[in-house]
Amino acid sequence: MGSPTESYVRLSLNEDLVRSNEQVYAPHFVSVLDPSLLGEVDVTAGIPEGGWLIVNTVMNQLDIQDIVKRKDLNIATIDATRIALDILGRNITNTIILGALVRVSHLFTIEELSDAIMMRFKGEIAGKNIKAIQQAYEETCIYEIGKDVDFFVHTKVPWQQVDLGLPGYKELDKAGVWYCDENIIQVGSDQVNTGSWGEWEILWDKDTCTDCAQCWYICPDFAIIREKGDDGLWHMAGIDIYHCKSCQNCLNICPVNAITKRMKQGPASCAAPEESGGN
Amino acid sequence: MRHPKKVEGIEMSVEPMKLFFKEIKEPTETAMIGNYAVAGGVTQTDPDVICAFPITPQTQSVEGLSDVVHQGRLKAAFVNVESELAAISYSTAAAAVGARVFTATASQGYLLMAEALPMAVGWRVPLTMMISARAFNAPNLSIWNSWEFVLTDFGWNCIVSENVQETYDAAILSVMISDKSLFPTMFVHDGFIISHSVQKLTLIPDKTVRELTPKKPRHTINTKKPGTWGGIVTPSFFMEGRKNLDEAKQPVLGIMRETFKEFGKATGRQYDLIETYNLDNSSKTAFITMGSMCGNIISWMTKNKDVGLIKVRAYRPFPYEELQKIVQEHDLEKLIILEKSDSLNNLLPPFSTSIATALYPLGTLLRSFIVGLGGRDVTQDEFDIAKKKMEAVKDMKGPLYMYLGVRETKNKILGVDM
Repeated sequence: MGSPTESYVRLSLNEDLVRSNEQVYAPHFVSVLDPSLLGEVDVTAGIPEGGWLIVNTVMNQLDIQDIVKRKDLNIATIDATRIALDILGRNITNTIILGALVRVSHLFTIEELSDAIMMRFKGEIAGKNIKAIQQAYEETCIYEIGKDVDFFVHTKVPWQQVDLGLPGYKELDKAGVWYCDENIIQVGSDQVNTGSWGEWEILWDKDTCTDCAQCWYICPDFAIIREKGDDGLWHMAGIDIYHCKSCQNCLNICPVNAITKRMKQGPASCAAPEESGGN
Repeated sequence: MRHPKKVEGIEMSVEPMKLFFKEIKEPTETAMIGNYAVAGGVTQTDPDVICAFPITPQTQSVEGLSDVVHQGRLKAAFVNVESELAAISYSTAAAAVGARVFTATASQGYLLMAEALPMAVGWRVPLTMMISARAFNAPNLSIWNSWEFVLTDFGWNCIVSENVQETYDAAILSVMISDKSLFPTMFVHDGFIISHSVQKLTLIPDKTVRELTPKKPRHTINTKKPGTWGGIVTPSFFMEGRKNLDEAKQPVLGIMRETFKEFGKATGRQYDLIETYNLDNSSKTAFITMGSMCGNIISWMTKNKDVGLIKVRAYRPFPYEELQKIVQEHDLEKLIILEKSDSLNNLLPPFSTSIATALYPLGTLLRSFIVGLGGRDVTQDEFDIAKKKMEAVKDMKGPLYMYLGVRETKNKILGVDM
């Protein structure tokens, strides 16, 4: 579980030439580890025509084109979540997606990637990861549009880092205060579809539930919905799937097992399991 | 907020503060130490919250205020906290919900506050703080006077006082400046030299102070208009917030000047951002400094009429345009900076850096003399030798600062031929 995160890698033919510490605004390759981000984050921002979009998904090219509204990109898909669960036993797709990147980019070979994994991991874990990237390399589905990107053309939109469109300093309130509109708290995580971050779908059984409200108290995201009934009392009404990050606190505290979980349909997030903070 | 009730049978009155227990109806001439004068001035401005942690040489200011609160003269919350960091945090928060707040500190206490000082500026709270300038402790502990406040300001307004009268007036002026500029203001006097010296001063009638410092509505933390104060922002917003503050700070010097005029009209004591003495002198040389040393120089100048004095009252924001104008108008060629702070082999110490930066376009020759650290007295000897050394200065080459009044060996003073 975690919020959407961007990370960058800049490569050069001559390693001494990578001197810039700028972020990457016009990526030639974009790997998306969680398909639910396609509709949430502008993942294709800045990709020049003929660039590559690599997605961990079971969807096909046309569906992805529709979601990202770009038809000028080469698209590669890989069901990395399944490979991760099969081989690693955990839904960690970070290394696996690299297999697909090698397949479409030809920037380095699968053997070189394996060597890098041997440097990072040891023993059984290294073996599993290498097996996983090899499988990803073979299973990657490629949809080419017949154009390729020119690595030597600079395509960054000027002043992108300034985020024009957001309030300027003359439009800010005194003391840097962000006021709420009409006394309704509309700030923070409420504004973000944090429900997409979760790995699990949390299910609630109305018949078993005793309305004890322990889940309502423990939920860190106010994702337990309650409604006032005709009897004037508050009753459980369901789970707010748009804000439930599937932390499973409610599931653990429920005294009558009225709350259960199931793996989300299709590939889910790149989330790390509880004991690992590695991602 | 709880107002402490007077406890019968416990008499802990601070004798000099008794003047402030009754209404002061007309200008009253009296004599007291700087800290009690400040406590009295703050009492007259009617603060809602007083929250400070005691540190030498600031202590009596808060002690005096605790007495007027205890005696029921002042209806304020007197809050004891466990540290200076707590004091400034509490004060900032209290000011943010609309209270008029006074705090005070010095030296290590100021440094301990450092973490929370920027937020008082960021939240635009009209907080006032007294500083009894004192050395910070390195390599030895000193409770005596140096200028610790020049180290950093974080955007606070800062005015520096020469004597007890000025620091009493500054207690009231700071409230006026804070309220009008919506930036916190610190006012400084030299620790012990002013904080513990009994000097003559004239008290302003309570009615005049009330008229000068009306309580006006302003932005506050308010349940009827909820918002996020001090919340986290991404790189998409932080820089806009800083520029917003920079823009808001721009009129503050003008506000200060107007406030000094208004204060002068009401009390007859006219102050300015920078004050000058005898600048049309034969050597085209002037001392420039602030605080208690100015009085020493003015006395010394009665027999040394060939140099002048520039006295900086507004240290932050630094009145660089005013300084340029003064130097240009009087055709000054050399400035002797006296500074009670050093910077260990940097080009210049902080106060001198502000002056040198302001005068860079004019090419005025200057040297910084570091004097009076850790409470060492600054006397006519220092002024004599500084003036003499400045006569030989022909350019801006070589070290721009020197320590003055420091033993080199048992029998030798650094840079002085006896």
